[in-house]
Amino acid sequence: MIEVLLGSVNKERVLIYLVARKSGYAREIARYYESELTPIQSQLRNLENANILASQSVGKTRVYSLNPRYPFTKELVNLIEKAIYFLPDEEKQKLTVYRTRPRRTGKEI
Amino acid sequence: MKVLQDMDIGELAAFICNVLSNHGIECVLTGGACVSIYSNNRYQSGDLDFIETGESKRSKIKDILSGIGFEEYNRYFKRKDVKYFIEFPSGPLSIASERVNEISEIEFSTGILKLLSPTDCVKDRLAAYYFWDDKESLEQAYLVATVQEININEIARWSKKENCTGKFNQFKKLLIKNKNEA
Repeated sequence: MIEVLLGSVNKERVLIYLVARKSGYAREIARYYESELTPIQSQLRNLENANILASQSVGKTRVYSLNPRYPFTKELVNLIEKAIYFLPDEEKQKLTVYRTRPRRTGKEI
Repeated sequence: MKVLQDMDIGELAAFICNVLSNHGIECVLTGGACVSIYSNNRYQSGDLDFIETGESKRSKIKDILSGIGFEEYNRYFKRKDVKYFIEFPSGPLSIASERVNEISEIEFSTGILKLLSPTDCVKDRLAAYYFWDDKESLEQAYLVATVQEININEIARWSKKENCTGKFNQFKKLLIKNKNEA
């Protein structure tokens, strides 16, 4: 949708995912889009190097989120939120309605 | 002039700033190193974060720093006998959503250092506290605010713009409490 503007479909995916879900890690984002892991990791690193994303280690996982200290974050979020608004309803639902409540260890469902 | 390995953080930052400036690259020191300098090392930072105010190719910076013995590792520049890392985070020079308009200068024996003003240094640290709840950054902001002259009204204005008046009030209370106890 705005991949031409952003220069890469994987950059668009990363930003849409992180704006919609507030945070995420490479494998989770790649799994969501059923894409290769490497280009997602690469875009996460590029965006972090540009200060657009910030990350922190949680266990062995590097979790990324939008960097609130980046001067264009508010404007970027507005743009990405508009892109999310134009997503097909089913896709929007899948992206924004997901389980955040805890799941007990060992519970299968 | 002192040899590089004997320079303190301010002297080294000024030296780097001047070397780059002599090659047409203007940089401003930001982050924890400003806290070290303004607090006379009561907080010790291990890295120098410079933001470029122009647009230069990283390869040019790499060549210049290589000329004084710093090599690039993982986007950091390091010299074996110097304990500080040098980094060039991506610009623009800003404190959260606002651009930095006032740049301070301090003269060292090694050159003139351009850096955030004490007020902007406090805002820079408070940004980390406001957005990431980082208590270390709050302590650093407090440290600078207690040893340097700062414009608290300007920090209040900026905090309001960032929707962080509540946390600013906590910071202000901390300053008042310290003043009353002193």
